[in-house]
Amino acid sequence: MSDELWTLGAEEIATAVRAGELRAADVVESCLARTAAVEPSVAAYLRRFDDEARRRAEEVDRRRAAGAELGPLAGVPVALKDNLNLEGDDCTCASRILVGYRAPYTATAVERLLGAGAIPLGKTNLDEFAMGSSCENSAFQTTRNPWRLDAVPGGSSGGSAAAVAAGSVPLALGSDTGGSIRQPAAFCGVVGLKPTYGRVSRYGLVAFASSLDQIGPLARSTRDVALTLAVIAGADPADATSSRQPVADYLGSIERPVAGMRAGVVAEVDASTLQPAVRDDWESSLDRLRQLGVEIRAVSLPHLPATIAAYYVIANSEASANLARFDGIRYGRRAKSASLLDLYLDSREQGFGPEVKRRILLGTFALSSGYYDAYYGKACGVRRELERQFSAAFAEVDLIVTPTSPTPAFAIGEKVDDPLSMYLSDIFTAPINLAGLPALALPSGNDQGLPLSLQLIGRPFAEADLLRVGRAFERATGAPAMPAGLGAALRGSTDGRDTTAIDRSGAPS
Amino acid sequence: MSLSVDEVRRIALLARLRLSAEEERTFAPQLGQILDYVAQLDRYAGADTAPEETPALEADDAPAPSMSREALLRNAPAVLDVFVLVPQVKVTSDE
Repeated sequence: MSDELWTLGAEEIATAVRAGELRAADVVESCLARTAAVEPSVAAYLRRFDDEARRRAEEVDRRRAAGAELGPLAGVPVALKDNLNLEGDDCTCASRILVGYRAPYTATAVERLLGAGAIPLGKTNLDEFAMGSSCENSAFQTTRNPWRLDAVPGGSSGGSAAAVAAGSVPLALGSDTGGSIRQPAAFCGVVGLKPTYGRVSRYGLVAFASSLDQIGPLARSTRDVALTLAVIAGADPADATSSRQPVADYLGSIERPVAGMRAGVVAEVDASTLQPAVRDDWESSLDRLRQLGVEIRAVSLPHLPATIAAYYVIANSEASANLARFDGIRYGRRAKSASLLDLYLDSREQGFGPEVKRRILLGTFALSSGYYDAYYGKACGVRRELERQFSAAFAEVDLIVTPTSPTPAFAIGEKVDDPLSMYLSDIFTAPINLAGLPALALPSGNDQGLPLSLQLIGRPFAEADLLRVGRAFERATGAPAMPAGLGAALRGSTDGRDTTAIDRSGAPS
Repeated sequence: MSLSVDEVRRIALLARLRLSAEEERTFAPQLGQILDYVAQLDRYAGADTAPEETPALEADDAPAPSMSREALLRNAPAVLDVFVLVPQVKVTSDE
């Protein structure tokens, strides 16, 4: 049994640890062994905390033995995206500019996980400053998709999604600004939730685009996502944009029937433009929802086609302002330069990678004198209109469904020289951030071994509805599979997987 | 809309970024292509461009402990006593 503890979900682990049926130390050992087996192929982590994780697990077991009340995630190994501060550890955002930075505090969402008894196994790879859809923009390493090692895991939370899919941890935190939880969840065949803007405190998340960023969970089941959301959600005095809306009992309502609910299909999404495998999966997903008693109706979001344009103007404008703080003065990399201006220019030249520079340039341009109204102003207008259209649609339906991504995971290197093509892969996810809504990415099928995913979009703070429909869909689909052969490939199996060494040459020393 | 290398250089200075000659040559057409795509906003944008106002949580106006100066200064690349060291900011004319 103990060899296979890494296959357990978060809820199973916490329930058994709290009941004294399972030792947190055994769970952590099993996950560490699994991580050691798969990590040479997958490269999900930038840093691992093996010894610290063992120490924390012993502490959980000691508290249990002493009769203390344990939290809802007692003994559950978790992975954290490396743009979340954890006191005393680095927080690189996969950028050279933050090499040497040590977090002086812990993000609220992480603090709440720790308080619930979760055990961090490490910090995961991402596209630099969460800017990207493939993890290829990391300054340090390229993470691989556990389902097919020559494919990207998605991004920017690709390391977190890959860690969960590979069985290293049952649970991870990511952040989502335009799809950065949902798209990697889709590519890696796991469940990912972008909560409503304000549902989870952003305190301690390194800011990319402050009006869009949200922290959320990735796991192998909707129940584990529900359990985690209940832990991390809720108002936080340290984040003025966090909401005082009461936190629902997500797990308590998740098994309720869904018959009679109404799901909207967006008229402006032309299914004929989807890749054939995605289209077939999308149509069978709608059939599955119908079989569950969910009524499918058409809704209209006329501004949806302009969303990517609006998103990239707004997100990059905010990013250009947020990333101005990385100037070599107070933290991170400082170039040895004689004048203050040269210090800024040299530190940022040496510290930022090409995608970050591209986005800062775009944002600076969109906010610059003479262009503000033409770009930022118009993008905000589209955003307002999109919010109204979503609101009107939600008067007719309880949720809206789309594919999570227009394609399955693409090959490593395929889009790296074509930024616009990479941006367009966010077509179904970015609108949700612009409107501040919650959305759940759910495994729905596969195309030649690569996972496909359905996105459920909800009204503000209606995460419980999404999880309930997601749970019913998951029951109808069957438990999500794990990539077969991963780890075994390392023991010399010749199943055709690419197990060549990962390039970690950029890893910080 | 095409951007010249000079325009890219001007934006880079505004953004306090130094680009290599190769980056300038790569970014100019890429940014132009992205701005062409963004131009479709013209067809959609309405008159109402004001950002949405969302009510923020108001903190109680009560003193509370904050992070220690030592903890914050520990990340600074150069420190003198309780100050972050930077290159000379004001250059006087007789220097």
